[in-house]
Amino acid sequence: MTIEEKEEKIQEKWEVQLRKGTLELVILAALQHRTLYGLELLKLLQGFKSAAITEGTLYPLLDRLKREGIVDAQWVQEGDVRPRKYYSLTDTGHHKLADLITLWRQSVLDIEFLLAHPGPDVLPVQGE
Amino acid sequence: MEQRDIIHQYLKELERYLARLEKAQAQEVLREIESHIFDALDQQQSSGLAEDAKAILQGFGEPRELALAYIAHITKGAPPPSGFKAIQKVKQGVTATLYYAMAAFGFSIAFALFFVAGAKVFMPDSVGAWSAGNGYSLAIGFFAGPYPADQELLGVWFIPVATLTALLVISLTRKVLRVLKNNM
Repeated sequence: MTIEEKEEKIQEKWEVQLRKGTLELVILAALQHRTLYGLELLKLLQGFKSAAITEGTLYPLLDRLKREGIVDAQWVQEGDVRPRKYYSLTDTGHHKLADLITLWRQSVLDIEFLLAHPGPDVLPVQGE
Repeated sequence: MEQRDIIHQYLKELERYLARLEKAQAQEVLREIESHIFDALDQQQSSGLAEDAKAILQGFGEPRELALAYIAHITKGAPPPSGFKAIQKVKQGVTATLYYAMAAFGFSIAFALFFVAGAKVFMPDSVGAWSAGNGYSLAIGFFAGPYPADQELLGVWFIPVATLTALLVISLTRKVLRVLKNNM
């Protein structure tokens, strides 16, 4: 394996981890004040480079979120089309989303701060 | 294979692996996935592509893997089902029976071989190994008269051969017993 290939692999691994860690936030964000069925949600997520997931990841995750009371699901039949299962956030889901947003924004701020203050200067101490 | 057949086969297999869920729950999962697949097929068609069920199913992964993701919350950290201890006991009983049966079997064969080897020293003519039935069978042991007309195979060599075989059988038996004991 060449060095470039190795670097590419490490980067890919990091991407996978990042996607995994943020997936729940991404799904809750997508369902914010919106009701979507599985395929719709999947296409929406696949439109983003950092959120492209497969059916096999999405559906079991939705199942878990439903069991945890974070999302609600309802079968809807419109006209001739076959029935589809629509997902929306519950009250608990909205609270959870608010919590995750806080965590996410803090994390981005912290990382940006570090990136904006490279060495060799001493890092200004936070919170002073 | 027809596109529909591929899909039905997939769903059937998935259903089998979802057996640990409650029936209604499993049906709900299947219904949603089926709805997704047929929706996606329609979308392929309306965008002028050829229907390709395999490509859609690929996104879901192997039925077994997909089902595992759905039942992970049941299998992870769940206590063993009641009756589990009883099963363990039965298994232990079987192993103990096997252990003693193996010991009896191995050591009695070894003992018999020692005995015959010893007897050969005192009664060289009526103890030994004979080939009989034109070589189709082998007779080892004591016989009142020399075994029907055929030649005895080993002569005095019978003594060391039988003794060594007995030792080999003992060592094999002990090895097997050690393995069984570890699993008891």
